[in-house]
Amino acid sequence: MDDDQSAEETAFVVDEVSSIVKESLEAVIGRNTYEHKRVNQWTSGVVEQCLGQLSKLGKPFKYIVTCIIMQKNGAGLQSASSCFWDNTTDGSCTVRWENKHLYCIVSVFGLAI
Amino acid sequence: MDEDQSAEETTFVVEEITTVIKETVESTIGNNSYQHSKINQWTSNIVELSLSQLTKLGKPFKYIVTCIILQKNGAGLHTASSCFWDNSTDGSCTVRWENKTIYCIVSVFGLAI
Repeated sequence: MDDDQSAEETAFVVDEVSSIVKESLEAVIGRNTYEHKRVNQWTSGVVEQCLGQLSKLGKPFKYIVTCIIMQKNGAGLQSASSCFWDNTTDGSCTVRWENKHLYCIVSVFGLAI
Repeated sequence: MDEDQSAEETTFVVEEITTVIKETVESTIGNNSYQHSKINQWTSNIVELSLSQLTKLGKPFKYIVTCIILQKNGAGLHTASSCFWDNSTDGSCTVRWENKTIYCIVSVFGLAI
């Protein structure tokens, strides 16, 4: 094993992942209003772009990315997640993003191989 | 390695997990209407109960359970998820449940250790 390998290269770095997610959201959705026909494209676009950027990091992780897009019209939404994993190596990060017309919640889970 | 070990004991069995999740959601929410003060409890209960039932199955998996509860009031909601894992051993399952005032979406991801 590489003794010189920095701990950062094999840990789940929340800030790094957060920025990747925020950039994907800005790029895919930006200022668009909620459009029923396009939402499908947006959710797929966001998860695929995030996953592509995450796998480019080259870390020994399996990733799960989930994205929720909700129209702003007063409905209540609650989301929770629970994980059974290895606390020392695995991690998650959730990003809440909004514009004038919609809310978007993206969660990334990284599990060490 | 145990050659007699049935393949079922180490794969992600969607039907089994779907049943576990449906029972958990029924027992937690049942016929209740959407109540802002209770949904925090409900989402937490659902993910925790589901996770403990899954760990009782005793399979060599890491699990991630996510739960979304949404009030029925006409808002549009779209969710997507993308996974970077080992296709031969890992799997996921999503259960959609509803009653008169609530939609509930539970996703389970199982990743082989």
